[in-house]
Amino acid sequence: MNKVKQISEAIVQLKWDEIAALTNEALEAEVPALEILNQGLVPGMSVVGTKFRNGEIFLPEVLLSARTMKTALEILTPILSQQDTPSMGRVAIGTVKGDIHDIGKNIVVSMLEGNGFEVMDLGIDVDTERFVEVVRDNNLQILGLSALLTSTMPMIEETIKALEKAGLGQKVQVIVGGAPVTQAYADQIGADGYGADAVAAVEKARDLIAT
Amino acid sequence: MPILHNVPLTLSIEQLPRRQGVGELLNLRPEMITLLHELLNSVDELHLLEPVIAYELHSITEMQHDRLCLKDGTAFHGQLLPSFLKTARELAIVVCTIGPRLEEKVTDYFKRDEPLQGLLLDGIGSTAVDSLVQEVCQLIRHEASSRGYEASNSLSPGMPGLPLSEQWQLFQLVPAEQIGVHLTSSGMMSPRKSASMIIGIGPDMPTWTEAQACDRCSLKETCHYRVYTHPEATT
Repeated sequence: MNKVKQISEAIVQLKWDEIAALTNEALEAEVPALEILNQGLVPGMSVVGTKFRNGEIFLPEVLLSARTMKTALEILTPILSQQDTPSMGRVAIGTVKGDIHDIGKNIVVSMLEGNGFEVMDLGIDVDTERFVEVVRDNNLQILGLSALLTSTMPMIEETIKALEKAGLGQKVQVIVGGAPVTQAYADQIGADGYGADAVAAVEKARDLIAT
Repeated sequence: MPILHNVPLTLSIEQLPRRQGVGELLNLRPEMITLLHELLNSVDELHLLEPVIAYELHSITEMQHDRLCLKDGTAFHGQLLPSFLKTARELAIVVCTIGPRLEEKVTDYFKRDEPLQGLLLDGIGSTAVDSLVQEVCQLIRHEASSRGYEASNSLSPGMPGLPLSEQWQLFQLVPAEQIGVHLTSSGMMSPRKSASMIIGIGPDMPTWTEAQACDRCSLKETCHYRVYTHPEATT
């Protein structure tokens, strides 16, 4: 099995304790860092996402695979930066005003970072004005909005409206998620994407940035 | 205003998979099970659980199809209570929590870039709250029995037919602040690992399984934590 294939398998098999050595071995064998990323790590995470959707693996395992990928990325990023390779994308994410739940948002943050995104974690109970300010002042591709309760979910719509009112609706693409949020609700409030779970959120972020 | 501190909770590894969203222990890889054991031990070693219950019993004075009134004048709105607790004479109003220490540790894990540990420990915390709710139900069953009545299972604001806004009424009826639980401006409990509930006391009180409760939930199609109904449990 070639080095890149081994790295891809390590992601799928959750070999978090072997990934650093495998990545370094590939680099020593003069496999380009970008090839390790695009033909090893990314396809590996794609398989993990498919297995999760099919119910073959569960969220703790997905998080471990993301952690495995992040370990490899920590080795590759300095090299990729020297080559002016852009990151997967820049994302800001927070739980909306009035909502203090953070576990779901934290999992999405870990998954995004594990997949090579730069992430600004805005925390919980985030004011609409803060979201607007962050979008205005930063070069972001994606804004993630999370709510866990039906009572706080309307603040997602409020935030999207505030972005539009501030003339920032076209500057960033908004992905929404959280237990009560549905695709229908996301469509109704004019969100650009909906993440049913952390894996779907990462895939949606990748899709939106690619289009 | 009964307040019970240091409620004994016994958590076993077999209880944990549901709140990890994995269904059964068999679905977890051996290294995950090892990590769960380590985290479960750390819960004891670091004293991460501070289970406490506050409750109060209130007499029912009036019940209509969408409203239930108590002796002190408080009214709960929505159809859930009248439809499930038709024969109730009293309500037990309860707030309980495992305290803030566990969720602080979860936050710490995420800050230290150890999300897997954070996720698993959060699931252990949710399991602890489930166990605490069972202790509450047992406690109220004893209260009901001492009055010659039965106790229903617990119902909570946010369930279909009992709006989350009723949380404010509930918190006026029980000394939650004395056990360190308060509501945020949007009606959420802090610490997050807390539960608020209403239990009917009277003759012929209804009970149901966790799986039957999951069947009634609006999130049942997508929830990773749902309990599935076994055919023989359906009534």
